Amino acid sequence: MKWLDKITETRARKVAQSTSRRGFLGKLATVVVGTTAAVPLLPVARAEQSGGQQPAEEGDPNSCDYWRFCAIDGFLCGCCGGSINTCPPGTEMSPITWIGTCENPVDGRNYIISYNDCCGKTSCGNCLCQRNEGDRPMYRPQLSNDLNWCLGTQSVAYNCSTAVVIGTALDE
Amino acid sequence: MQKLIYIVGVLALITLFGCSDDSRETISDASDTVQRVAEVVSEEVSANNSSVAEEATESVENSGAEAVEEVAAADMENSGTEAVKEVAAADKGSKAELKPEQIGVVETLPEQYPAEWILIQDAAFFHMLDGRLLVVDASSDDSARRYKGMFNSSIIGQFAQSTTRPELYSVDTYLSRGTRGERTDVFTIYDKRTLAPVGEVVLPAKRSSNMPTIYNLQLVDDEKLALVYNFTPAASVSIVDLDSRTFLGEVPIPGCALAYPMAGRGFSTVCGDGTIQTVNIGANSDDIVSNRTDAFFDYENDPLMEKAVQIGSMTYFPTFKGNIQPVDMSGDIAVPGEAWSMLGDGDEGWLPGGLQSTGVDDAGRMYVLMHPEGAEGTHKNPGSEVWVYDVENQQRVDRIKLKLPAISMGITRGEDPLMVTTNINLVIDVYKVKSGEYLRTIADIGAETPFMLHGAR
Repeated sequence: MKWLDKITETRARKVAQSTSRRGFLGKLATVVVGTTAAVPLLPVARAEQSGGQQPAEEGDPNSCDYWRFCAIDGFLCGCCGGSINTCPPGTEMSPITWIGTCENPVDGRNYIISYNDCCGKTSCGNCLCQRNEGDRPMYRPQLSNDLNWCLGTQSVAYNCSTAVVIGTALDE
Repeated sequence: MQKLIYIVGVLALITLFGCSDDSRETISDASDTVQRVAEVVSEEVSANNSSVAEEATESVENSGAEAVEEVAAADMENSGTEAVKEVAAADKGSKAELKPEQIGVVETLPEQYPAEWILIQDAAFFHMLDGRLLVVDASSDDSARRYKGMFNSSIIGQFAQSTTRPELYSVDTYLSRGTRGERTDVFTIYDKRTLAPVGEVVLPAKRSSNMPTIYNLQLVDDEKLALVYNFTPAASVSIVDLDSRTFLGEVPIPGCALAYPMAGRGFSTVCGDGTIQTVNIGANSDDIVSNRTDAFFDYENDPLMEKAVQIGSMTYFPTFKGNIQPVDMSGDIAVPGEAWSMLGDGDEGWLPGGLQSTGVDDAGRMYVLMHPEGAEGTHKNPGSEVWVYDVENQQRVDRIKLKLPAISMGITRGEDPLMVTTNINLVIDVYKVKSGEYLRTIADIGAETPFMLHGAR
């Protein structure tokens, strides 16, 4: 798959630099394969395409050991007036972010989790959580939780982080 | 006497607020006025002291106790206002009367900070607009006086110190309405003696806001240029001329991050495809020549950590799996050397980790925070030990067990350095490097998240 990594990465970088900031997400492709025809490619199998019922989840979504938080670093939005996939009132969700690949213990699948930051207010201060499975240095920013991802938002002030399921990671 | 100061203070405020112009001259004039007012009041108090003190003494004698008595007295006829005066009179004669003190005195620091002083970078993670840099004497057990001063830094500022000028630098971000409004990124020059800003360079509003690192803000070319890492998420580096205090330009570094100084007028940056790009800056900042290595490190399975140390013109990167990757940065392109393992027999499971996980001393030894039972995802875990390396001979020369595991560390300058760590309680521990001895803990200094520690250069 190295050749695919290379092509996807090169293409994604050009997209990220020359077009939309969302294009940056297209760079992630080490364990997943693109399935949509849209540009930029978002190389995940979308949940709605799989049909059927959503798999169940277990655990406390406001606890740092919850499965979706395997690569998070920040305040959990569910403890800040938002939820695991929504921002607190009056904040703005960053359109670009870093991602993690986390295993849902209920169905044993690996999911791509997008840790979109909520922005425009100062730190929430509740439920600080840091886990680093799959986290990588800032020269691979799409996998780095050391960055303040309040980018492309009206304000760079960081409030909290969500953990949105954006698809399943397919086996290599 | 406290009330005397109070009176002077009130008059000072009246004088200041009476000023329509806030120029320095006016403030200076106001200070002079305050000083004159203080002298007048002081004279009046002295003049009244004899009669007032007699009353007070009688009162004390009547009670038979040693005490301080207050006596209210006197119109200030000259000023035409009523005021209250107070005289401390107990045990008159055996205690010298306090002299009025000068108002408006502000402390200064030495131009060259002592070797044991440290600079503590508090990102204020729970309220990022209020980040700060503290100057603290790490050799002192005096919990009050070891705190020397501080300045502010907003939204996870980045920091550097000059060795050739009495200057400290920070680059940070301000929004016109605090957490919203127009964004301004600014490179600010602070005077080491006053900790006051003495210059600033407004930069493109692109600087990377990230957990602080050494390599977000660096000085190159004998400290003539400052480099600021940008991430929007397009990556670039802003260049500041420190002589003219001007913004020179911006160099794109697509797919790469941070700025590691080259020996000459340039920097290297680590890239997500396993290469290093070197940017050489000509006399004219538009004259940029970039070179790139072949891919030489495994960015997927054993990535270089950003937390390198620089010893001479060599840069040493720890890797996720416990190797050291040397890179020669003396020329116009980075030249990677052979990586070697930090681990010996019996070291299985130990890995480098932490936030600021490395340090270097003046003798060129490399220090690395290490934790046992390392695995995928533990690369930011606190270290329970610091391992010390002679990097030329690729040998571990010391192993310091920490009182408490630590996320960050710093080494002071000189032949007998101190090691300071940010422990898991987010307070500072101080060790003697040569003996590994724990010396003291520095807590309650108003630094809630002291993410980075620097020995004063």
